[in-house]
Amino acid sequence: MQGFRTRSDKALKWAFIASLSIILLLILVPVFHAIQLSLFQSESFISNKNWVGLANYIRILNDVVFWRSLWVGLVFGLLTIGLQVFLGIIFALFLDRSFPGLPIIRGIVILPYLLPTVVVALAFQWMLDGTLGLLTIWAEQLGFGRPSWFENSYLAMTVVIISSVWTWTPFVTVSFLAALQTIPKSLYESAKVDGAGLWSQFWHVTIPMILPMLMVIILLRSIWMFNKFDIVWLLTKGGPSSATEHLPILAYRRAFLQYDVGGGAAVATLSFLILSVLILIYFYYFPLEDKESSN
Amino acid sequence: MENHKELDVLTMQANEANQDKKIQKFGRREILKSAIAGAALFAGGAPAVHAQQKTIRFLNAEPSRDSVKALRVAAAEYERISKVKVIIDTVIPDDAYNKLQASIAAGTPYDIGTLAFAGHVFILADAGKLVPLNKLVSKHKWGPRILFPINGQNYWYPYDYNFCWMYYRKDLYEQKGLKVPTTWEQMAENAKALTGDGKFGVAQPLGNNAAAQWMSLGYMWADGVKLLDDNFSLVVDNPTNKPKVMAYLDFMKKLSPSMPQGMTQALFGTVLSQYSSGQVAHAPYAGRLMEVIEDKAPDLVAKTGFFMYPDSAGKGQAVNHGYDGWVVLNTPMKDESLKFMEWFTENQYINFLHSAPLHFQPPRLDVYDDARWRAHPLVEKHANLVEFMKSFLTRKDVIIRSVDTEGPRVDLRPAKMFETFAITEALQNVVYNGMPSSEAADIMAKKYRTVL
Amino acid sequence: MKIKGGVFLFTLVTIALLGIWSFFPIYWMIVSSIRPERDLFKIPTFWPETIDWQFTSYKNLLELTDYPLQFMNSVVVALAVVFITLIISIIIAYVVTRYRVPGKTFIVGSMLYAYMFPPLMLAIPLLSIFATLGLSDSLIAVILAHCTLTIPLGVWMLWGFFKVMPFDLEEAAMVDGCSRAGAFFRVVLPLSLPGMITVSIFSFLLSWTDYVFAFVLITSDSNKTLPVGLASLIGSFDARWGELMAGATLIAIPLFLMFVFLGRYFIKGLAAGAIKG
Repeated sequence: MQGFRTRSDKALKWAFIASLSIILLLILVPVFHAIQLSLFQSESFISNKNWVGLANYIRILNDVVFWRSLWVGLVFGLLTIGLQVFLGIIFALFLDRSFPGLPIIRGIVILPYLLPTVVVALAFQWMLDGTLGLLTIWAEQLGFGRPSWFENSYLAMTVVIISSVWTWTPFVTVSFLAALQTIPKSLYESAKVDGAGLWSQFWHVTIPMILPMLMVIILLRSIWMFNKFDIVWLLTKGGPSSATEHLPILAYRRAFLQYDVGGGAAVATLSFLILSVLILIYFYYFPLEDKESSN
Repeated sequence: MENHKELDVLTMQANEANQDKKIQKFGRREILKSAIAGAALFAGGAPAVHAQQKTIRFLNAEPSRDSVKALRVAAAEYERISKVKVIIDTVIPDDAYNKLQASIAAGTPYDIGTLAFAGHVFILADAGKLVPLNKLVSKHKWGPRILFPINGQNYWYPYDYNFCWMYYRKDLYEQKGLKVPTTWEQMAENAKALTGDGKFGVAQPLGNNAAAQWMSLGYMWADGVKLLDDNFSLVVDNPTNKPKVMAYLDFMKKLSPSMPQGMTQALFGTVLSQYSSGQVAHAPYAGRLMEVIEDKAPDLVAKTGFFMYPDSAGKGQAVNHGYDGWVVLNTPMKDESLKFMEWFTENQYINFLHSAPLHFQPPRLDVYDDARWRAHPLVEKHANLVEFMKSFLTRKDVIIRSVDTEGPRVDLRPAKMFETFAITEALQNVVYNGMPSSEAADIMAKKYRTVL
Repeated sequence: MKIKGGVFLFTLVTIALLGIWSFFPIYWMIVSSIRPERDLFKIPTFWPETIDWQFTSYKNLLELTDYPLQFMNSVVVALAVVFITLIISIIIAYVVTRYRVPGKTFIVGSMLYAYMFPPLMLAIPLLSIFATLGLSDSLIAVILAHCTLTIPLGVWMLWGFFKVMPFDLEEAAMVDGCSRAGAFFRVVLPLSLPGMITVSIFSFLLSWTDYVFAFVLITSDSNKTLPVGLASLIGSFDARWGELMAGATLIAIPLFLMFVFLGRYFIKGLAAGAIKG
């Protein structure tokens, strides 16, 4: 670490400040605007606003709907993140080899992530269509009767989780692959020489080397999945009877459909605060400024 | 780590580094600036051009290709004669209101917009964002319950009714010796008789969405159920209405074995598909269904009949309300927008309606007598359907209702009630969760109360 | 790294399963788009019984939408986003890891805020900002909006890469007469190439698949991107499953091909990164 001494340092410094300012402007201004909306009561984004201070928060926190949505969000988030990371690591490990056809396989593996969410939702809706869906028919042929994928709370949640895992595991896989490739083979060699088996190599060589990357991935995926709106909305709109209605959907409903912009913004802000707490905890255990890491 | 190899390479290249310094001067900021400039070129340098020409931005919520075409043709024609450019932006109906309010909130409002809910018109008018269209509206006579005046002013110009009624397969009725139902009981029996062999009697969407609230409530309205009284107080759970609501919920439960799977996911398009592919024998819809089967399943056209939602006793009938219209926004271009709307509603209204000749049921009474409108092949061919549709406007014994138009005048409260989907939840509770209809009705009333 | 016998077989089977898991829904999507329409209403079979060589679904689709135009828009926006993201992420990540910067945690943490709010709520004030700059309804607005999604990701990922890279290498290079920038290009860049490529890929995809920002910020049909186009197709009544699947396929296939080709460079990049071993 050093200060900005030379001329090229200074140029870099200005470039840094400029870039940062633009980005923070584009991010923070909308965020503050959204938070500020939660302190007013308004029926739309253009109606007259009445200042209500924290009244929206009190109302929302007293509403059982909020807590249920929070619970749904946690269940959805934890399950999807867990599965994505778990499967992502496994897939990456298997792809970290060389065999013929590797580019094709890698292309196939990342394919789910390439699709816009609306396409994924369509594909799954088509496969799960009540009468014509392939999976519906297979389930029937396998003796499960015609499953009501979207009428049953548990099934609906499962569908949403599986489609999310299908779509976003490639993110984990590819990030991991990149990280795995940076581990010098020599480390594995020395481990083998010391008599370590596959599992031991994984645990003592792979994991420590990719731990920073792993933690970043977990953090990012957590934030994203907790806030994932599109896929759930497109598949179930939060149904059946709010079984899959998590905080983003509740916020959307309130603000854009139920003429309660302040309430929706409050839900969004509360969700934001919860995430902030999690991030702070994360920073506590994995600070950005750790003791100078010389390898 | 083995670094030596790299260092050698670096040493060799160090001499070139000095030369490279010149190139480094063309640093990141420069690149950034040219990137943005390049992107600007790509975006077509749009902002600058407007200086010369007047432009009106029109938000259209009819995405079918014929409707879009009709609007684009009209826009081109208007530009030719007035030199004012009309830019059409098309979104799906569900997104129209949000797009409109986003554009206003951001300070870049559309000049003309399309809305499908009176509540949305109310909000915009209340916030002073709309321009009154009294002059335009008063030029013609209109059908019932289609103008939604707010404080005596008309802020919206309707372009269609979309009443929902029931279509049925005449051939299957003949096969099974069935008659057009006049009571719920008969309806349930007919549907049951036509269920079997992988086919179903009727499709009634039951999800928490607009499709369900448009297609599945007609039976309840036919029985005379009111949700609100003239003071906007909730009356759905009073002694008159509650038993009817309960009876309706029980009836729907009775009807449900005749419905295909997945009714909580069913949307407008689902029902169209199911009827036109022969999967269901009854389907609730408006004129669009006829247009669709003319296009995709013509052999069904002659086999398709229609009737209104029956009530429980055989005394009344109903259709579910539906409508669309345009609003002019209070923008700097409002005078031009008004001129355009005047021209458009005089000269292009019928053309636009023809893009869905049976689905866009004219709300303006003069259109029905207009030879140009009648000249459309589908309007001619389906004269009996058109008569049927027109009769709703004049018959006193047909109830026209919807959740969002309850109450004596347009107001936000019924709109909020619509968005709670309390009635569809009640339907789900009774049909799928085995809840007794009394309990479901109470929950529904309680939910409605929270928004009143 | 070749493996022998049973392990090889096990790996092969697992990879096959992985391929099936990833590809099956897409296979089904493609197959549905080339079935004649009537077949779509019958009980489906695994292999299509008949293939509609007329590709009617595709023809209908192209009639109903401005697909080529939207495709171009999506491509242009995505490429611009990748370019800008790389440059800005590199600057920010590099400076944060190599220099003393006050409030590092706050800076990097606050960029995450973009992910923590519903995009639709952020899109409206963003539209306002862009409108004041005269950029409403332009692809530039969409590009910048996407950058708010991609740059935090880019910074985080590259920060991870730069952080584990010891400073000694650059020091050695500078001792040998390289400028700071020279050291960056000669030492840091090659070693973190996998990271850069990863960031590029993700930025491209985040931009390509975004619906919300493109929906709010664009108001004329000629500037629409693919996801917006497909969504409006779903809402219209002219389309059925066949056309929808055709639209979905058309979005997926070019990407797949692109990735198969880019994948080679990806591997090269990854391999180059492994040289230092």
